[in-house]
Amino acid sequence: MDVQSAALIGAGIAVLTGLGAGFGIPLATGKTSEAIARQPEASGKITGSFLLGIALAEATAIYGLVVALLLIFK
Amino acid sequence: MSEAAHAMTMSEKITEGMGIKTVFTIHSFGYAIPISDTVITTWIVMAILIIVAFILTRKLREIPRKPQLLLEAFIGFINDFVEEKAGHHGKDFTAFLGTIFVFLIVANLAPMLTPAGGFGFEPLFVIKPVTRDINITAALAIIVIVTVFFSSIVYKGPKGYLKSLVSPIPVMLPFNIMEYAIKPMSLCLRLFGNILGAYIIMLLIEAVVPVAIPPIAGLYFDLFDGLIQAVVFAFLSTMYIAEAIE
Repeated sequence: MDVQSAALIGAGIAVLTGLGAGFGIPLATGKTSEAIARQPEASGKITGSFLLGIALAEATAIYGLVVALLLIFK
Repeated sequence: MSEAAHAMTMSEKITEGMGIKTVFTIHSFGYAIPISDTVITTWIVMAILIIVAFILTRKLREIPRKPQLLLEAFIGFINDFVEEKAGHHGKDFTAFLGTIFVFLIVANLAPMLTPAGGFGFEPLFVIKPVTRDINITAALAIIVIVTVFFSSIVYKGPKGYLKSLVSPIPVMLPFNIMEYAIKPMSLCLRLFGNILGAYIIMLLIEAVVPVAIPPIAGLYFDLFDGLIQAVVFAFLSTMYIAEAIE
């Protein structure tokens, strides 16, 4: 196996980090919906922390994507 | 054979779309400064922002007309948002954070201005998203972290700043220092990765199904994703500044 194909397989493995965001963001979204249903008047604050949370949860997937891109177009 | 040739052109298309072309080079003071297409699009975005800001603020009245009402609602929204997150000192940063927010919104939505093409003829001009260039997101992230650093020194005082580095316990010192590298990196990579990812997916969709699907998918990948990322970037910058000046 030459270096190029190994890098491509590595890129494929790197995007598996998407799993983390895929599990994390729906969890946060579901909990946010529950919280807003329970206390609609606090929806502004809940949405704020929700945005912060998904931004941080999403970071893992984005790092995987960037690593995959680096492996493909180095 | 023809299938392989087709796949070749598709991957070439994506590589070409991702690449950042140098349009021309400025030679001055013995340096060659390459000007890429993203820089030119940034200039266009800046021109749009300056002209719109100039037109909207030219004739301000006590009793606002329609455009001024919109402007006041927008400014009020940003003021309230920053003040809620960062306390009453946050007022000093509304102009800065509002500028970043507006710039990112216009820059992320600018690709939607590309005129329609197809049926064999190319569109007049193609605007590609600016933030797919990591240099631009890195510049924005560095601006934010430098602001965080200096505002933290100014608002806490040099002594208070040093004290905040060893809070809550002295063991946290290396981590507190590391934050100055991690925060801008995650800000920069988040924006860059999201916009580039959405852009690549749109290129793939357009290459596979050129009709009907791209406009619908574009609603999510161009409009919604661009807006969300602008909001997230401005929101995280606000949180970092709020943390620095509290």
